[in-house]
Amino acid sequence: MDTSTAPICPRCESSSTLVRFESPVAGVWTLFGCNACLFTWRSTEPATITDPKLYPARFKVKLEHLKDIPVMPAIVSPGS
Amino acid sequence: MVCKDLRSFLELLESENQLLRISEPVLPEPDIGAAASAVNRGFGDTAPALLFENIKGFESAKLALNVHGSWCNMALMMGLPKDTPLKALFQEFCRRYQNFSKGTIEEKKTAPWQEVTITENINLFELMPHFRLNPGDGGLYINKASVVSRHPDHPDSFDQQNVGMYRLQVKGPAQLSGQFVPEHDIALHFQAAERENKPLPIAIAVGNDPMLSIVASMPLLYDQDEYQMASALNEEPYPVVTLENGLQVPWGAEFILEGHVLPGVREPDGPYGEFTGHLSGLRNMVSIEITKVSHRKNPVYEYTAIGMPWTEIDYMFLNTCPPLYVQLKDKFPEIEAVNALYTHGLVVIVSTRIRVGGFGKAVGMSVLTTPHGLGYAKVVIVVDDFVDPFNLPQVMWAISTKVNPKYDVVVIPELSVLPLDPGSEPPGMTHKMIIDASTPARPEKHGEYSMQVMDPPEAKDWLPKLQALMQQH
Repeated sequence: MDTSTAPICPRCESSSTLVRFESPVAGVWTLFGCNACLFTWRSTEPATITDPKLYPARFKVKLEHLKDIPVMPAIVSPGS
Repeated sequence: MVCKDLRSFLELLESENQLLRISEPVLPEPDIGAAASAVNRGFGDTAPALLFENIKGFESAKLALNVHGSWCNMALMMGLPKDTPLKALFQEFCRRYQNFSKGTIEEKKTAPWQEVTITENINLFELMPHFRLNPGDGGLYINKASVVSRHPDHPDSFDQQNVGMYRLQVKGPAQLSGQFVPEHDIALHFQAAERENKPLPIAIAVGNDPMLSIVASMPLLYDQDEYQMASALNEEPYPVVTLENGLQVPWGAEFILEGHVLPGVREPDGPYGEFTGHLSGLRNMVSIEITKVSHRKNPVYEYTAIGMPWTEIDYMFLNTCPPLYVQLKDKFPEIEAVNALYTHGLVVIVSTRIRVGGFGKAVGMSVLTTPHGLGYAKVVIVVDDFVDPFNLPQVMWAISTKVNPKYDVVVIPELSVLPLDPGSEPPGMTHKMIIDASTPARPEKHGEYSMQVMDPPEAKDWLPKLQALMQQH
């Protein structure tokens, strides 16, 4: 996986991003993924999705909040 | 005529002018979501399905969307004329639903989805044309899959098998995350496996015959088998194939994905625009590894249109009406019809003959205590038997004339509701309301309702005459 050419995540702005998939017809689009918040986006989407400055504020993710998001369903401990 | 797979249903829809082929090249985003929104908003109750045949970046992908997205398409699915009135669709659905015990499964040895099998270098990004439907969605989703699982303590028991529609996010070439709401059967199965630190085997069927998607998203009792219900609703045996791991999958699917849910693992999933017309937020959800993909040649991928209602998913909620109708009718023979279409039954309209003063409110309370009512039925409207609960202008007339809020509106505090209800506070709790829009009956004395205008009986003889005259034009 070539991580050097993936832009920063538009949603959480992490640089821990990678290319997930290139269009089977070469050169049409690239699918990127973020290893921090697990967002996926495509190079051909509107700027309101691909540009971290334009990604809607209500959907932005702060990485430090990820540990507090609810778990569904709750993890069942072995033997419980 | 029952369509045993998606392709034959698409052919039927096309022959009835209920399918549009989009052959112009489209970008996955924003074109597919935009077309889906437009077809629902622009065509309403008669909207066609869309078949995208040219998705930029893919060599030959095909995507069907809005397959169930109109009363016309739902009627055709049931083998009825496309202009069948909604109340008649409901009555026929209920009739077949009550014949559940007549449903049968047909075991087949082979299936068209066995044409292509992949066990190495699986790449879900390549095998299906994934896309983001709504801005704000966290990524690419599979949202019209029927997911098959069994209770791990009963791997050979058909009665402990569940088929449900649970959304799945495509995270990697052979990896998904999945939304297992704790009350749903798959969560019970997975919990039992996770308790033993074992993976839960599952099978995921995508691109299914139209009735399966209706049944997989229907509120059934735990021991009611989904394939048997599909058979009862189709009025013919339902064909399945048994996999090596014992799970039974639909014969007619375009894709079968086999894999397992990993114990002890959760990862961020979402947000996702849900049937509530609102996005549900980021949650840590289960992780699924896919180990085998089988599919038909030139497979058709299928996705449910969801957005600001009404969209395709709202028509599929016809499936919410029969269980409620049967449960209420068992208690009260006066029940005429139940409309539980709105947001999977968050609003329910019940039509009933009124036995005695206060009966309307009793029926309303009865809705709240049905199994489905525990998670839904936030507003219950009760109307007389001569009001068609599927005729909203008539329901609004009933509310406008039969309701005096002094007597007819009851609010019950602090009841349970699904956490996805954006109005719930905290998520999962809500007040609920009964609106008794039925005519007060003795000994109830308020209002003056003795002189209501009714349809004259001779009108029913006039209708065929007028319809025949119309045909001549």
